[in-house]
Amino acid sequence: MAVMAHETHVPTQTHAEVTRDVVATLGKPSRGYVLMLAGAIGMFVVGLITFVILLKDGLGHAGYTPPVMWSVYITTFVFWIGIGHAGTLISAILYLFRSPWRTAVYRATEAMTVFAVMTAGLFPIIHIGRQWIFYWLLPYPNQRYLWPNFKSPLLWDVFAISTYLTVSTVFLIVGLVPDVAAVRDKVSGWRKKIYGMLALGWTGSDTQWRHYTRAYLYLAALATPLVLSVHSVVSWDFAVGLVPGWHGTIFAPYFVAGAIYSGIGMVFTLLIPLRKAFKLEHMIQEHHFDNLGKLTLLTGSILFYAYMMEYFIAWYSGVSWEQTTFYLRAFGPMWWAGWTMIICNAFVSQLLWFKKIRTNVTALFVISIFINIGMWFERFVIIVSSLGNDFVPYAWGQLTPSWADWGILVGSFGWFLMYFLLFARTFPIVAIQEIKEMIPMPRKRPGVLH
Amino acid sequence: MRKLAMALGGSAVLVLAAWSLGRETSSAQGGRATPGAAALDSTTAPVLAAADTARLKGPRQPIFFRHDIHAGQYKMQCQYCHYSVGASSEPGIPSMQTCMGCHLVIGGADSATRAEIQKVRDAYNQKQPVEWVRVHYLARHAHFPHMRHMKALGPTACATCHGDVTRMPQVFKVNNITNMGWCIDCHLEKDVSRDCSVCHY
Amino acid sequence: MATNSSEQSNGGMNRRKFLSVVGVAGGGAAVLPGCSTDRVQKLVPYLIQDENQVPGLATTYASTCTECPAGCGLHVKTREARAIKLEGNPDHPINTGALCARGHAGLQGLYNPGRLKSPMVRNADGSLDPVSWDDALARLSQEVARAGSGTRVISGAGPGTFSDLLAAWTQALGGRLVRYQPFDHEPLRAANRRVFGIDSVPSYDFGRAKYILEFGADFLETWLSPVEHHRGFARAHGYHDGEMAKFVSLTPRMSMTGMNADEWHPITPGSEAAVALAMANVILSERSGAPSDANALRGMLARHTPEAAAQEAGLGAEAIRRVAREFASAKPSLAVAGGIGSQHRGAEMLCAAVNLLNYIAGNVGQTIDFGAPVPTGDGYGALEALTSAMRDGHVGLVIVHESNPAYTVPATVQFEAAFTRVGFKVSTASVLDETAALCDLILPNHHGLERWDDLRPRPGVRSLMQPVMEPVFDTRATGDVLLDVARAAESGPLAQFTAASFEAHLKQAWVGVAQARGSTDPEQFWVDALARGGVFEDSPAAPVVSLAADAAQIVATAPAFDGDGDLVFMAYPSPMLFDGRGANKPWLLENPDPVTKVTWRSCLELHPDTAKALDVREGEILRLTSPHGSIEAPVYVYPGLHPGVVATPLGFGHTAYGDYAQGRGVNALDLLGAAPGAGGGLGFVAYASTRVRTERTGRYQQVPKTEGNPRQLGRGIAEAMPIGLAQRGLTPKEAHYAEVGGEPHEVNTERELEALAGFAEAQEHAATKGDYVGEHPQWGMVIDLARCTGCSACVTACYAENNIPTVGEQEVLRGREMSWMRIERYFEGGEDPGEPVEARFVPMLCQHCGNAPCEPVCPVYAAYHTTDGLNGQAYNRCVGTRYCGNNCPYKVRYFNWFPYNERSFPDPLHLQLNPDVTVRARGVMEKCTFCVQRIRGAQNRAALEDRDLMDGDVTPACAQACPADAIVFGDRMDPESRVSRAGRDHRGYHVFDALHVRPAVTYLAKVRYQEEG
Repeated sequence: MAVMAHETHVPTQTHAEVTRDVVATLGKPSRGYVLMLAGAIGMFVVGLITFVILLKDGLGHAGYTPPVMWSVYITTFVFWIGIGHAGTLISAILYLFRSPWRTAVYRATEAMTVFAVMTAGLFPIIHIGRQWIFYWLLPYPNQRYLWPNFKSPLLWDVFAISTYLTVSTVFLIVGLVPDVAAVRDKVSGWRKKIYGMLALGWTGSDTQWRHYTRAYLYLAALATPLVLSVHSVVSWDFAVGLVPGWHGTIFAPYFVAGAIYSGIGMVFTLLIPLRKAFKLEHMIQEHHFDNLGKLTLLTGSILFYAYMMEYFIAWYSGVSWEQTTFYLRAFGPMWWAGWTMIICNAFVSQLLWFKKIRTNVTALFVISIFINIGMWFERFVIIVSSLGNDFVPYAWGQLTPSWADWGILVGSFGWFLMYFLLFARTFPIVAIQEIKEMIPMPRKRPGVLH
Repeated sequence: MRKLAMALGGSAVLVLAAWSLGRETSSAQGGRATPGAAALDSTTAPVLAAADTARLKGPRQPIFFRHDIHAGQYKMQCQYCHYSVGASSEPGIPSMQTCMGCHLVIGGADSATRAEIQKVRDAYNQKQPVEWVRVHYLARHAHFPHMRHMKALGPTACATCHGDVTRMPQVFKVNNITNMGWCIDCHLEKDVSRDCSVCHY
Repeated sequence: MATNSSEQSNGGMNRRKFLSVVGVAGGGAAVLPGCSTDRVQKLVPYLIQDENQVPGLATTYASTCTECPAGCGLHVKTREARAIKLEGNPDHPINTGALCARGHAGLQGLYNPGRLKSPMVRNADGSLDPVSWDDALARLSQEVARAGSGTRVISGAGPGTFSDLLAAWTQALGGRLVRYQPFDHEPLRAANRRVFGIDSVPSYDFGRAKYILEFGADFLETWLSPVEHHRGFARAHGYHDGEMAKFVSLTPRMSMTGMNADEWHPITPGSEAAVALAMANVILSERSGAPSDANALRGMLARHTPEAAAQEAGLGAEAIRRVAREFASAKPSLAVAGGIGSQHRGAEMLCAAVNLLNYIAGNVGQTIDFGAPVPTGDGYGALEALTSAMRDGHVGLVIVHESNPAYTVPATVQFEAAFTRVGFKVSTASVLDETAALCDLILPNHHGLERWDDLRPRPGVRSLMQPVMEPVFDTRATGDVLLDVARAAESGPLAQFTAASFEAHLKQAWVGVAQARGSTDPEQFWVDALARGGVFEDSPAAPVVSLAADAAQIVATAPAFDGDGDLVFMAYPSPMLFDGRGANKPWLLENPDPVTKVTWRSCLELHPDTAKALDVREGEILRLTSPHGSIEAPVYVYPGLHPGVVATPLGFGHTAYGDYAQGRGVNALDLLGAAPGAGGGLGFVAYASTRVRTERTGRYQQVPKTEGNPRQLGRGIAEAMPIGLAQRGLTPKEAHYAEVGGEPHEVNTERELEALAGFAEAQEHAATKGDYVGEHPQWGMVIDLARCTGCSACVTACYAENNIPTVGEQEVLRGREMSWMRIERYFEGGEDPGEPVEARFVPMLCQHCGNAPCEPVCPVYAAYHTTDGLNGQAYNRCVGTRYCGNNCPYKVRYFNWFPYNERSFPDPLHLQLNPDVTVRARGVMEKCTFCVQRIRGAQNRAALEDRDLMDGDVTPACAQACPADAIVFGDRMDPESRVSRAGRDHRGYHVFDALHVRPAVTYLAKVRYQEEG
């Protein structure tokens, strides 16, 4: 990896300082952190209570209004899957492309991925009618000679998500090993024991490094295709259906772009406060945001194009129900949702043409909030407004979400943030050893080295 | 809350898989027409008293009715009492009148038997039908047309599912008939329809 | 689980007691998940085997429907001695096998949770308390003895042995009997008296009519004998071999009946008579062939020129002339009037005018049969007289039987005040209705399915009623009550009634019936009659009818309306609730009104222009004020209305009558004045007699309707074609192009067609694998929209057969109704002024697609294709992802959002559940199964008889119920089956053919008389 040595933006610290700063993030939690964690757990509890009530009385508490049989839960499910994507993209693909600017941020994004997918994984269970037999969705041998239906996109989901969760988790853990070792050497007492175990006896020997980098490379290669596959599969949940507004061939690329777009949005939302809280400004620098901003602009523009295409195709198809659906998407009872999605995604992303904005942390944070909202609404619009006005006019119905919908949504955010915060406390949120790799080998000079 | 428990329990999918496999083999071991309690010779049923019912398999009935005597020793046709089994989805439970048809006359050989038969007579005279404890159930979303099976397998086919009651002083569940695998095995073997809507509607 | 109480609620062992095997007879509540098998359950044997009951097999008893005076014949299906389904008696001359929604819902009258569980007596503190039958009867005897000739009886029972007994009984006391029906069609009778000198209401033969003219007689809903009319109407107006009758409706409000008309003219309320006379005038002056004595009318009719009538009615004089000529030249034709909805103060004149119109066109004796009059009561006048007698305190004892005057007469009559002045008030109501609530003693009558009786809906027709099961509650047949009282009074006037029981009395009466028919063996005669459902003979020949002396003394003056409001108020009879007796039956409340598609409550219907003028939207609560009172209800905008009219259904707004009925909607009668002085003294209630002022409240209430969008946006869901094109044998598609011009062009490219063909081939091939090998029937259905009238009988039949839960108003507001079969109602035209509005009905149920979109998306194979071409739904496999629901283009899959199965069958309603059908628990998807339980049942029967299924062995509940025979079901693989033959009709089409889902349901396009485009 010496190739990376001749890079601009070299961190100005020594190896020792890097380790110190990063390990410092694991020190005594600040008040702010504790409050945030408490908040997250509180939100999670709200979701948990809602779920128990749904389990007891049935899904009716949610605002479902047939023919809208899927609504906020599936929306949120797709939203979280999407969030997951930026992580793998940044940590794996950019790694393969050898773009060094990723180093500072990839650990955080990777953690985000794992937790986002964990969150998404809950929804297939939450949203089904008889949650207590959700395991029937999995293929397992049984005396009834019954198997799941492999033709059903929902089953593809099951596989896509579990695969994605496994790979990204492994990827995260492997990436952690040297850093955990570094931490192990800095701490003492029971914590040393635990980190020791997690470090899998890492000594930083040559052989270990050689095997390690190989393994890491392969995992990156393994994770890369998932970025495309997982969200393509999710998009087919809709594209395979007949529902006007779902039945489109552009869905796979459209959704993947959207996923990455929303993912990076979430990266901004998480990283910017984190950077402040943990005082990592000198490691996570403006040019990192600049690059992320460019990526956002690219994916955002792809979305813009996709939106226009959807309307064009609907008009060009000459199919009455396609046209009606898209007309109502803009001017029907759900117009507000439709326009929220277009403004937040298509238009706001265009601001990132300006470097000033790309490098202005505050502006980016605000934009990222818009992105999160916009991308949630994108899924909401695609699902709800399409289902609400499909083939049979007599059966049309408009959804009004209820407390149960919001309860689960809030809970999912709580669940996600809870894990993310705990992670940030317990493990180096910035990859120590990769930062170090970028520091030119120091000349003889006092200071301890590993 | 049971549902919540189930939902959580559900997450242990592999465990369940193993478990369900286990269930299949066990039901297979259960086998068809397993001989009932003890090794009895089929002609004369053993002498037992109501007191003995505790150690016999199966639920205790309000009256110690002996299938092994009626169907075994005296070789009565199942259909004599279970009158609608050939015509209807329900086998039919004999009316008290049917019992009295014989037991007006037959009072029983020994004191123990007499005591039991006396119960039947009292019940009939007091117009109080006996509440038998049910041994064989199907889940209510599974429709089992008895008559079709009698038609296809003949009048002696009862034992296929219910076991050889001619050897049971007290009826007990021999086969796990509540288990869909039990039905499917036979439907595969006989190569008859396995369409869900044949039983589930 | 709803099941276990079903045993408890039937204590005691005797005949017709069911075998309480839980899960066998346990209310059929095969509730999912069926994991209850570990509970200890009891098998309770019969004491004595009932030869009529084989557990697991249905036993059918013939009986007679009492939900309205028409007197249709019933076949009551019982399982383990519980009635579980009502169907029409095919041998019965009135309904010949069909049954309306109200008839089906009779079952929920039997099992109604609101039924009184024992006699009730009013105590010193004024509260009603349960009492034993002995005490209750003792009390009654004593009161009867006291009141003697001061006894008055109000009875809604139709003519029959019980009514005879009641009359004789009252007579013996020297009291008076008032036979009172709220919808008694008094104007019709009065008009017949006046024009023909015949004091009865004839029966109408729509089947023979070639041209039908309606002046506000909803003959397919509540008018006289709706099911009978349905069958006739379908015969006449249903398109077959290039022919069909034309049907023109002239009413201020387009009722469901009007929706079936080829032309609907919104005429000014009250102008009907003028129009009818103008038509008579045209015919008489232009045509010869009218009966000679009609000439006496010339002078009178000459005064009624089409121009004048047109002026008054707000429709073209040319239209009047044209319709009159068409009416005269179609022989025989039929004009009807005298519906409740258009019963204004001029109703008698209207009926008289229509009588003349029929007479001049020579229809009397052709389509109008005075030889077979329909049963009528003594009319509202008699009740009015009794009311004033009660007011003056001349009445010592009143017995109210099968009647609820406290609700069915306008408040202004102050019946309640008068009633409370009666010394002692007795009711035989089986539900605590408004009248019973005022009574001192309530002796709950058996439900019609629990008691013996017979009805004579026509001369020649004696329709028997027999108990089909043990009484659900501790009730007693009123016939027996009368006899008990008689027996209690050893001496005195009642001593003549000595029959041991009403059953004995009835049998005795039937001995007479048998002897009158020269039967040597009355017992055998009786048994046969019971099995058949009665004796059905032709009615005596129609008498020769000629004009009465003062027939010419008819003057059509516009009727008066009270009040100075700018809208005329129309209270029309609800097709579901009838006179309000349906309001305690959830099936009827949830079955959407065929016209408005509103469930569970009543709304105020306004024409779009009127709504715009008043600046109100649907759902805004509007206050109507007439001189007699005011009501508040949400607005429903309905284009099929005269702009000067506001309409609302009768039958709602109960203040008693059980939890389902109480406080639901508004009582339209509150706006009416019928008291003497306020337009009373007519001898009938003028339901359209007030003008109302409107007042916006600014409050809103979402309307619980099942319709999303009333326009089909040119998607070809409900197709129709002009009769001219139908006669040319065009398909709906061709007809479409013939109308709008242009050429049908193939949109697919060569390659696409190839692909489609290949795909279809692959499908066929796939259908020859595994279980699909071999000869299997492929079930299919054909629905003829030219016959379907939208009456929704099939909907209730489906609820009854398939244990479909009613979800209630709140859930309907969220569009969560579970109706497997729904009647979609679409409007065509009527958007730009002057353009006539047209309504179309299309019954929408699971199409059992051969290439079903719901099947591949189900992750657990709960939705899958059966070998016999059904789109199967394994409830116990369903995990509830609802993907199938999303992917179904027809939106006919319904999800159990809540445990509806536990909520919607309160004890004892669960006793009606069909043991052959799984009751779906929450969290699973359900939908129409083509009544798979009936298919499997037929297959089982056939297998036992070693034969193959034959065409007609399987009839789904909807097809069985349909009074218009619009639904045909059968095996599409058999080219000779009825369904295959019907499906080959050129009018056949599939909804959303472009989706290539290959539905098993074929619709036949509606045919209309209209100008070809």
